[in-house]
Amino acid sequence: MNKERVVAPEKLFPEVPESIFLFRSCTGSMEYPGTENAIKEVMKILGINIVMDPDQTCCSGYLLTCSAYKPELSLAVTARNLAIVEKKNLDTYMFCNGCYGYNRELAHIMHEHPDYKQMANDVIAKQGYHYEGKTEIHHVQELWYRLKDQIAAKVVQPLNGLRVAVHYGCHYLAQQYNILDDGGYPTFHEEIIGVLGGTTVFYKERQMCCGYSVGRGFTHKETTVQPHLYKKFKSAKEAGVELMTTCCPGCNVGLDREQPNLTERYEEEFNIPVIDISQLIGLAFGVPLAKLGFEANTVKLDRVLEKLGIGKGDSHDH
Amino acid sequence: MTTDLNKRALVVGAGLAGMEGALKIGSAGYEVYLVEKEDTMGGVTNKLYCSFPRWENPRQLLDDRITQINNTEEIRVMTGTVIKSARRDGDRFVVDLQKAGNQTEQVAVDAVVLATGFELMDASVYGEYGYGIYPNVLNSLEFEARLKEWSSGSRVDTPKSVAFFKCVGSRDRSKGYPYCSKICCMYTAKQAGLTRELLPETKAYVFYMDYRAAGKEYEEFVRSVIETKHVRYVRGRPAKVLPENGRLLVRAEDTLMGVPIEVEVDMVVLASAAVPRKETKALAEMFGAKTDQYGFLENESFNPCQTGDRVFFAGACGFAIETAGAQTQGAAAAAEVVALFNRAGQEAC
Amino acid sequence: MPREKYRDHDEKSRAKVDPYKLVENLETCLACGKCVGNCPVASLTPSYNPRQVISDVLNGYTERWLNSEEIWRCFWCANCATNCPNDIMFPLLMIQLRYLATENKYGLKYIMPFKRFALRAREDGLTFAPSEKGREKIKRLRRNLGATSWPDISERAKTEYKELFDLTGATAYLESLSDEDERPVELRYTEGRITNE
Repeated sequence: MNKERVVAPEKLFPEVPESIFLFRSCTGSMEYPGTENAIKEVMKILGINIVMDPDQTCCSGYLLTCSAYKPELSLAVTARNLAIVEKKNLDTYMFCNGCYGYNRELAHIMHEHPDYKQMANDVIAKQGYHYEGKTEIHHVQELWYRLKDQIAAKVVQPLNGLRVAVHYGCHYLAQQYNILDDGGYPTFHEEIIGVLGGTTVFYKERQMCCGYSVGRGFTHKETTVQPHLYKKFKSAKEAGVELMTTCCPGCNVGLDREQPNLTERYEEEFNIPVIDISQLIGLAFGVPLAKLGFEANTVKLDRVLEKLGIGKGDSHDH
Repeated sequence: MTTDLNKRALVVGAGLAGMEGALKIGSAGYEVYLVEKEDTMGGVTNKLYCSFPRWENPRQLLDDRITQINNTEEIRVMTGTVIKSARRDGDRFVVDLQKAGNQTEQVAVDAVVLATGFELMDASVYGEYGYGIYPNVLNSLEFEARLKEWSSGSRVDTPKSVAFFKCVGSRDRSKGYPYCSKICCMYTAKQAGLTRELLPETKAYVFYMDYRAAGKEYEEFVRSVIETKHVRYVRGRPAKVLPENGRLLVRAEDTLMGVPIEVEVDMVVLASAAVPRKETKALAEMFGAKTDQYGFLENESFNPCQTGDRVFFAGACGFAIETAGAQTQGAAAAAEVVALFNRAGQEAC
Repeated sequence: MPREKYRDHDEKSRAKVDPYKLVENLETCLACGKCVGNCPVASLTPSYNPRQVISDVLNGYTERWLNSEEIWRCFWCANCATNCPNDIMFPLLMIQLRYLATENKYGLKYIMPFKRFALRAREDGLTFAPSEKGREKIKRLRRNLGATSWPDISERAKTEYKELFDLTGATAYLESLSDEDERPVELRYTEGRITNE
């Protein structure tokens, strides 16, 4: 059997880090800035220091998969970004499945093909960087799972049994080794939602793609992406889902922004708000609504907030 | 030629291979300790309702062997017994046994036959199939128990439709083992055919990549399951099992037609890979035998029965094998032991 | 349909499809169909079939797919790669097929929309940063959160990002993308096949 695919969170994080490098996500800082903010607030409450770097650029993964970029560029960009993290002697944490998946895949390719690593290093050396390959690439959701018990202890606003469904997103589950689940039957988000007091809902198309990455939403929206999303939302609606969580701002865009178009095309209401799991944890921690940024969502969270007894514009400090 | 009838053999494991080996050594006049971990003899064959390719009840075969063993005074049967440790002492092995009731016994033997058999791989690594998650996803041995229930007339919660998945863990370099587990194509055909016999209203589907029927009457057996028992064979390794309306939805591709398909069934049976039992590796080390990277016993060059100095092996602990093959290998290992003892006897004169 | 003359397997043609050497284990494919069973695109467009793409590439029939509509439908959900018992990273084959197709002037209509985004990303250091009106909305959202009005990205980052494009030949490639002389693509493999179209 091959090297280990699925590992326990204690193996991924033998010790909880004191400081982490948070990789800025383009979609996460522009389309849904509330996600990045929510992560910072939650980490503050959990006592973990966040480091970011303005020199870090886009991971270039999205347009690579749209075939607009060739691998040479993305390898160099990845090497440069990870070299910046390495200089700080930290491990890098992404909060976007896209950044996570592309960086990890490209780092893995450089690891397996030393000539590509050499090529990337030759390019970035001209800017004064060197990529060794020693920084580990994690996703923030893995840290949430590792800190499940600490999260449970800090909940001040339990979710009152809110029916929450999870969308894991493809780029996390598709990594082939050293991850929390390889797409078989993931349950780690459900466990986190459980400790927050929500009711997890398993719906049949839980592991279906959001259709956002690779740009098929631009090229094949009506032909493929919309029928595909329709199947997913139909399955979620039948299961009685009130809220959907993601761990990728890209998936958030794909699932949130497209719903009104689906309603128009298929003449069916879905009204399932989609937020990041960090924002849900933030809600449960009592982080003021203004800091969670639900303004950015297309499908509004009014019904959800009402059910949780949180008024709009309330900044409760419990 | 005289034989030194003071020589004694140890056979580890009283499945079909071990029993056959012990019988042949005993009938040659040598003493044999037949050590078995479980409380009864018979190994995996005990769990079987039916055997291929002749649709026979293996109970008759087992009872015949057990009776013969009990009637052979050279064989001393020790069930509920495990081997704690062993060391070499010249040409002998000194072995510490732990018996039922925590009693211990030390014996000295002159040759060992390892026949520890196989077990099924734990299929829970295949989260996509839901083993251990959905209650009606079983492995093939668990399903065999259901066949026994249905044969005794029970009709509680019978499925309306059963899907059999082959190659779960076998031929898989990613999450399982790259080898082919040899017997699953045949026993899956058997289980599917029996399902149709016992529950004529139930549909059966077998999802396969290939079907391997290389043996006497094997191809005819599989064809009869397809043609006379009306089991549908679909070529495609299933991708996922999802719960739907209280039933199980199987997603796969019908590769012969090139179309993705979905089938609703009530029960899924996984033909998990056959792996050697965990004790095999430790036992091999105790006796100076070799195992391969999967834990199967390795044979010495030119001799398919020998795995170490004065150590032989037989049955599924060397690689998955069907019942007839296990018996043959048991007899072959026994021949090695008897020849060894006979030669030693000659030299002693 | 006339009977096809089966070609001899040609190592060189395979090297043309996989110049980046990312899917060297294609021959381990068992044609088991586990990839297709979970493929969201295959369930909507059955003539798109990852298993058949691999089979055709191995047998030297890549051209059939180069002018096809099907290869542009893959989502990179990687359900295929996750499921594959031999760990074949099929999406990495797909992107290389797309590169080969565009080199032969096929499918450019599916890449041209991204040329604009790519050239803008080259300037911004961020991807999909909207134009002026869209930026106002983002700045407002961010200010309401108490964050900086624009993501904190340095001038150095933008300059160096642009430089990487120039150094690796990406700028030249992007600027050369044009849909002049584009050749049409259409759904292949639909004859005699069950499709949803």
